[in-house]
Amino acid sequence: MSRYGLLARFSGPEALSEAARRLRERGYRRIDAFSPFPVPGLAAALGMRGTRLQWAALAGGLLGAAATYALILYSVVIDYPINVGGRALNAWPAYLVLAFEGGILGAALATFFGMLVGNRLPEYHHPVFNARTFSHAAGGGFFLLVEAADPRFRAEETQALLAALGAEHVEEVAP
Amino acid sequence: MAETARPDGEREPARPPVMVGRHDLPEISERIGAIVLRGALPRGFWLAFFGLFVLVLVFLYSITYLVSVGVGAYGINIPVAWGTMISSFVWWIGIGHAGTLISAVLLLLRQPWRASINRFAEAMTLFAVAMAGLYPILHLGRPWYFYWLLPLPNTHMHWPQWRSPLVWDFAAIATYGVVSLLFWYMGLLPDLAVLRDRARSRGRQLLYGILALGWRGSAFHWARFESSYYMLAALAAPLVVSVHSIVSIDFAYAMVPGYHSTIFPPYFVAGALYSGFAMVVTIAIPLRRAFSVEDLITVRHMDNAAKIMIAAGMIVTYGYVSEAFFAWYSGESYERRMMWSRVVGPYAWMFWAMIVCNAVVLQALWWRRVRRSMPALFVIALAINVGMWLERYVIVVSGPSRGYLPAAWNDQSLTWLDFGIFFGSLGTFLALVFLFVRVLPAITIFEVGELAHERRQAQEGTR
Repeated sequence: MSRYGLLARFSGPEALSEAARRLRERGYRRIDAFSPFPVPGLAAALGMRGTRLQWAALAGGLLGAAATYALILYSVVIDYPINVGGRALNAWPAYLVLAFEGGILGAALATFFGMLVGNRLPEYHHPVFNARTFSHAAGGGFFLLVEAADPRFRAEETQALLAALGAEHVEEVAP
Repeated sequence: MAETARPDGEREPARPPVMVGRHDLPEISERIGAIVLRGALPRGFWLAFFGLFVLVLVFLYSITYLVSVGVGAYGINIPVAWGTMISSFVWWIGIGHAGTLISAVLLLLRQPWRASINRFAEAMTLFAVAMAGLYPILHLGRPWYFYWLLPLPNTHMHWPQWRSPLVWDFAAIATYGVVSLLFWYMGLLPDLAVLRDRARSRGRQLLYGILALGWRGSAFHWARFESSYYMLAALAAPLVVSVHSIVSIDFAYAMVPGYHSTIFPPYFVAGALYSGFAMVVTIAIPLRRAFSVEDLITVRHMDNAAKIMIAAGMIVTYGYVSEAFFAWYSGESYERRMMWSRVVGPYAWMFWAMIVCNAVVLQALWWRRVRRSMPALFVIALAINVGMWLERYVIVVSGPSRGYLPAAWNDQSLTWLDFGIFFGSLGTFLALVFLFVRVLPAITIFEVGELAHERRQAQEGTR
């Protein structure tokens, strides 16, 4: 029988974090945890090494600001220069306001879409939704998923380990 | 927290709790989800919505009239070419700013009490920005050419005037609208997943399923979600200050007595927060009662909002004093005459009503008992809403009506169209708030759940 993995339900965020840390210590690598609200340190316990979103935001911000300023410069210096009493064509203090707004817009778009791309969302379906106990209906529970593809995965052994770590319920997830 | 004794001997906690009673996540998602997912709505909802829908029709009729007859149909004339279209625009933008302050700035300052009011405050921001954005476009006279503000390639070979604050304004408000929408939608994702799994009908499962983008609450997802949520907040905070500063520069750039003043940016930003918090209170007090969520949106929230109103209101009052002082101190006869006509001229009743609403009524909030009495707070918030609208109108109109050349002095009077459009937009805004409360969770489920969990941990820890 093929399976995607084992899904264990825990009573709360503390038990979940603890179990995630223990599994990781035992060499499990293809594990994921689910919670109804962000649990501090849980992603780190699962082996996540921070995100690169801040660089995406910085790049988006710089790009947005530079593109806005470049558009203005092109329009007033190259495409349609108008000499009004010898005033500078590149009136940078006025253009910085627009460059600032463009920068904020670029950074915000990069942050939002960076989050979606990093999380591979939107996603049409994920095997974890096959589990009977997995639902957000009650706000969502605290779950730990061990994928069958994990090199250390042994069905009975892993199930016993999850129970020993304090899981309230362990269930097989269909692929 | 220490308790203070009241004169009548009863003891009252110095700070009411952020959340009343013990809650857990299933109960919170049940209650908040039920507001959206229950079948029939109370009759009061429909009656109120019907009233608002009539105002939406008034709005549409007034806009049609304005566009077909021309901008002269409302109170403007020459020299007073800016009227309620501009003052209401400034007022609406200000309303929106409180939402961003609550959702972004209080998030960065780690104020847990924002959790139950941030969602509807953000929705309020979006709808207020939508209303605000319509006004300058309607004011254009030929509103169908508004896209000329965009740098589009076209056959006239013209570009926007990049040095003009009006173009900055367009960019700032468009950016603000987009960033507010992203921030709001991102915060909705986990709650949409809750609604998706709670929904019973196929249509709703599809709707919320598509909107939730497949959110499953993975720890990896939460980590990226949190870091990007904080980054968006950090981007929104300077943005919100820039938006109203730029709106004020629309005035301050102009060589008009009463407009040309360097105090405008901070004064406008404070006024925005002031009126915005007044609007939050105006909406929150009936909302918490109508949906019985007084234990989630508590007296503490209203108390804190009232304190922010005091801070912002005192800055606004300082702005009034400094405007009058510098008009006198400058020794400029035009400035002095403009200020004098504000105080005793044709708009004097508006000026004094504004002082009473914004600077005098506000002082009642120094008393804790007033801040924690919902009827009193509601009345004060309404007065501040009115006062801030009057302030915008007085600023917009009194300058051009008493310009440099006495031959060009003129007054402006309001017509039915001014009222039709303003009350129409107010009704449309509230109708949108009603629809929002019906379709999306008005209280953030995951943040309130997190708060409830932390509170339970803390209580168990002390026991």
